[in-house]
Amino acid sequence: MKYKYLAFSLSGILIIAGILNITLRKGLKYGIDFAGGTLIRVMFKDSIPIEEVRKSLGNIGLGRSIIQQIGEKNTEYMIRTVQVLPDMKEKEELEAHEVIANKVIEALRSKLNTKGESEALHLGKKDLNNIYKDELAMMLEGPFAEKAREIAEKIIALRTREGMIRDYSKLKEEEIPKEAILFLKEKTYLGSLIVLSRETVGPQVGHDLRQKATQATIWALIGMLIYIALRFKLAFGVSAVLTLFHDVLVTLGIFSFTNREINLPVIAAILAIVGYSLNDTIVIFDRVRDNLKIMRRQELEKILDSSINQTLSRTILTSGTTLLTVIVLFIFGGEVINDFAFTIMIGIIVGTYSSIYQSCPILYFWNKIFKPKKGLRK
Amino acid sequence: MRKGLRWKVLLVLIVVGLSLFITLKKKINYGLDLKGGIHLVLQVMTDDAINIETDQEITRLQEQLKKKNIEFKTITKGKIGEFSIEEINPDQEGKLKEVLDEYFREWNYTIIGRRANLSLRTNVAQYLKDQSVRQALETIRNRVDELGLTEPTIQRQGLGGERIIVELPGVENPERVKNIIKTTALLEWKLVKAGPAPDRETLLKDYGGEVPPDMEILRGDPKRTEGAYYLVERVAVVTGKDLRNARRSVDEWNNPAVAFSLNPDGARRFYKITSENIGKPLSVVLDGKIQVVATIQDRISDSGIIHGRYTEEEAEDIALVLRAGALPASIKYLEERTIGPSLGADSIRKGLSAGIIGLILVMGFMLFYYKLSGINAIIALILNIVILFGTLAYFRATLTLPGIAGIILTIGMAVDANVLIFERIREELSGGKSIMSSIASGFSRAFRTILDANLTTVIAAVFLFQFGTGPIKGFAVTLIIGITASMFTAVFVSRLIFDLTLKRRKKREKLSI
Repeated sequence: MKYKYLAFSLSGILIIAGILNITLRKGLKYGIDFAGGTLIRVMFKDSIPIEEVRKSLGNIGLGRSIIQQIGEKNTEYMIRTVQVLPDMKEKEELEAHEVIANKVIEALRSKLNTKGESEALHLGKKDLNNIYKDELAMMLEGPFAEKAREIAEKIIALRTREGMIRDYSKLKEEEIPKEAILFLKEKTYLGSLIVLSRETVGPQVGHDLRQKATQATIWALIGMLIYIALRFKLAFGVSAVLTLFHDVLVTLGIFSFTNREINLPVIAAILAIVGYSLNDTIVIFDRVRDNLKIMRRQELEKILDSSINQTLSRTILTSGTTLLTVIVLFIFGGEVINDFAFTIMIGIIVGTYSSIYQSCPILYFWNKIFKPKKGLRK
Repeated sequence: MRKGLRWKVLLVLIVVGLSLFITLKKKINYGLDLKGGIHLVLQVMTDDAINIETDQEITRLQEQLKKKNIEFKTITKGKIGEFSIEEINPDQEGKLKEVLDEYFREWNYTIIGRRANLSLRTNVAQYLKDQSVRQALETIRNRVDELGLTEPTIQRQGLGGERIIVELPGVENPERVKNIIKTTALLEWKLVKAGPAPDRETLLKDYGGEVPPDMEILRGDPKRTEGAYYLVERVAVVTGKDLRNARRSVDEWNNPAVAFSLNPDGARRFYKITSENIGKPLSVVLDGKIQVVATIQDRISDSGIIHGRYTEEEAEDIALVLRAGALPASIKYLEERTIGPSLGADSIRKGLSAGIIGLILVMGFMLFYYKLSGINAIIALILNIVILFGTLAYFRATLTLPGIAGIILTIGMAVDANVLIFERIREELSGGKSIMSSIASGFSRAFRTILDANLTTVIAAVFLFQFGTGPIKGFAVTLIIGITASMFTAVFVSRLIFDLTLKRRKKREKLSI
């Protein structure tokens, strides 16, 4: 409790810094879920430096797209377009984004089309990295009859596992008969680009989602307030909600300093934090409630202090174990879930800090300012 | 073993056994982000349905007014579902009212001065809107059925039920499927009055440069023709609605084509028009673009061929959408997501490894910090996960990537309850109580805290479930189930294990915790 002023000022600084960053420097970036646009993930056969990718996009007027490298080697990229091409009509909205997505893929493909590939295309060879299973099976049917389906499935399975086939020798490892490999070498080529995913969102959805997200968060906070007020007393409820509110603001603030975008999973993470961060706060409040009965004649500040100290190990341990799993998710979970894991990670740390250093001081000040009739005893 | 314990052990074994069995039997349902597939959100522009109805009613009204010799200057349209009759003769007001009451019951009207304002009744408007969405839903379902896809999800959504969500997992050929779903597929046969012409002026040469009211200008589909301009009759001879069937076939030169057959009503009209127009050109229009123009050689009644530079696949797809029916003209696409199968497989792999690593770390920690009692927590945790999977499989809940994250989160949160209990037990022990009573009060006093703490997370998860879309819902579901199961395992099962293992050694001095 002696740090209460320090804690308040620290939080105050964080919150203000976050708000300033968001408003003045456009810190908070909306992902396509909220702002609309296209998001494409591609994988190249060979390693391509990011500048090359940007150049080919620049050639079609999309040089300002957000390009991010996924994974360690320079083969996977995530592209988020932010511009609208000049000849797109406003009305076409999602269709415009779809067209943009097509153009991006087209531009990247044509950039990579080495002489070998254009020749291959000319000769009517098929792209083994992009051909569909049915077409592949049909192609193999001629020379391989019943085994065609089986071979096609093995190839598709290999593609699904590795993303793309980088060399015909990989087929040997899959126990595909030599004759088939020779046949494929003749009739196909290994395309240098595959699209891992493409997502386009029109502007209308984004607007609705923003509304829904804010509503959900506010209602959740109100729900928490009511719940705590019922189980404990109003003062506790208010303190809990203010603590949670602070958590959300600080988390968003820290988020705004990173390069990450806010998408639906991030909001989900924030709501999850709202629910979880309350856990620690409840553990402490529970102890406060007990101590109020036991330590009747002590000063409020002392009671609060003891409560915090007594539950300290508990608070840190529970948050610690959860944080452990979240950190594992953050490091090993892959790119798609990374923003989500990051948000929860920050949220848990902030939440634990706030439960220890904020919730009781708020109670204290509430008591001082409002001087409720029966004190804080229920 | 004491009687009470026996029941408890049995209960736990049943729950766990059931979970294992169900998990193995009913495979877990993978979501789109793990299996790959297509996710589409579209909005039916229901106002257009109202507009079409309004236009038709205005035409009908004009005919009626003419028939009854009721004078008026003009009819103007206002907002959606509203229009006004201008400059009516006040003496004829009574007659007008008669007509409106008799023949236009779906419209509310007020007559102010020389103007009559009509607006479509709310319930009629509502019905029309609902109807257009249901038609779109039906058409999409038909198309998806024709494609033979497994486990599609087609649902209405949104405030007025105007949005449709289509989820097609495991689609192998997303581009083709998307095109089939999205195409409007409005097929019309229209008589050609002039053309082909390279531009509009040449086309309208004989018409004084203006388009006659009963005609319109259409262009050839650049994929099939040279994109020339044609002047055609506005009203179609027959449309896709008159089709009885359509299938891929070949024309007389063995090129892929679409063979169609008409229902009796359509056949009758087709027969009449073709016999009256032998030697004249007839165009086949798909989605407002001319596919082919052919000269009517002979009377056609109920079947024919549409040919026009189609590949086998294109002919197949066109036949498919013709069979399934046309979508109402105005559909707006709000969201399109295509996830490739390799990305999905990658996500599963990463999620799984993160889960296993997290599990090992947590187990290691519990062992290290709580020594032998840590084993207690570990067993509870493993059972927790088994029950979690069992419940997911039982409810055929969809597992998504955030869902996997939720499971990993649950692993971390599940031990929280154990931590609370064990810390309480430690406290009681240091306070001097005996082992058995420490354990007993540890459990009972921690229970309330555990309940409160977990409940708040569950409440937040419920909110998430309400407001989230597919993947987020998956997260909320795993969180709710996981936490609930964790309360069961941490409180009931842990207690049981303590009871079972400590009963033997009655005079235990020290509890390994």
